[in-house]
Amino acid sequence: MLGKMRISGILLIFGLVIEALSLLWNTALSFMSFAVIGGLCFASGILLFLYSLVSLDTSGLNE
Amino acid sequence: MISPQTLVFVLIGASILLILVVVIRPSITASREGKIIAFLALVIVPVVAAGVGASEHMERSEQTQFCLSCHIMEPYGRSLYVDDPSYIPAAHFQNHRVPADKACYTCHTDYAMFGTIHAKLNGLHHVYVYWFGTPMHPIHLYHPYNNRECLHCHAGARSFEDSPTHTAMMSDLKSNKLSCTTSGCHDTFHPVDKLDQAKFWKPTE
Repeated sequence: MLGKMRISGILLIFGLVIEALSLLWNTALSFMSFAVIGGLCFASGILLFLYSLVSLDTSGLNE
Repeated sequence: MISPQTLVFVLIGASILLILVVVIRPSITASREGKIIAFLALVIVPVVAAGVGASEHMERSEQTQFCLSCHIMEPYGRSLYVDDPSYIPAAHFQNHRVPADKACYTCHTDYAMFGTIHAKLNGLHHVYVYWFGTPMHPIHLYHPYNNRECLHCHAGARSFEDSPTHTAMMSDLKSNKLSCTTSGCHDTFHPVDKLDQAKFWKPTE
């Protein structure tokens, strides 16, 4: 679970960085970067975290 | 006053810090409080940050600068500076009859229910075609230009209502039976193929 959570966090941080960078410009390309790359990072990060919850292995929490 | 963009950046920074806490010390999720923090950091805060970012991008997509960021739109942007009042978009843009920073959007959105959503969906399609498809040459409107878009501003305006020409055909104009743009009255728009011969207005800095 902890590994998945780390990956999820990194994906979300990447998505947030893409979002911040995309807001520095006002062009169709920056919008597409946010929508496609950022959106993928957000979606995969959140889904991975939720997946880690439903496939919870409680033994890992005491590491 | 803090600008919306600053708020978005603050939110992004705070989100990253919160996520970093969970990434660096995932063991905090062993406690109930830690699980709540993890859920906030990895679900709620990113959803809010993405939503605020999407809203900001949607707002920005109404700006003239955004529309003209695609290479194919450059001549249409140049046509706004043609020094000839018979060019309807140029006259509207140069005289601020439409907001200069939202010139494209003001005239090319539907002033009907869901018009904004429709315009933005069309815009997404345009971006998709621009990057992944083959744009048409010349580009053209999906439908004949609806008088509703003109009347959104002009209806009720004295200069429009008092004109004998408009008065004589008012019902046909309002019912869209007689087009403002293709009936021979106001029919010069973005003649991008004639820009080489056009004289341009240069705004003073």
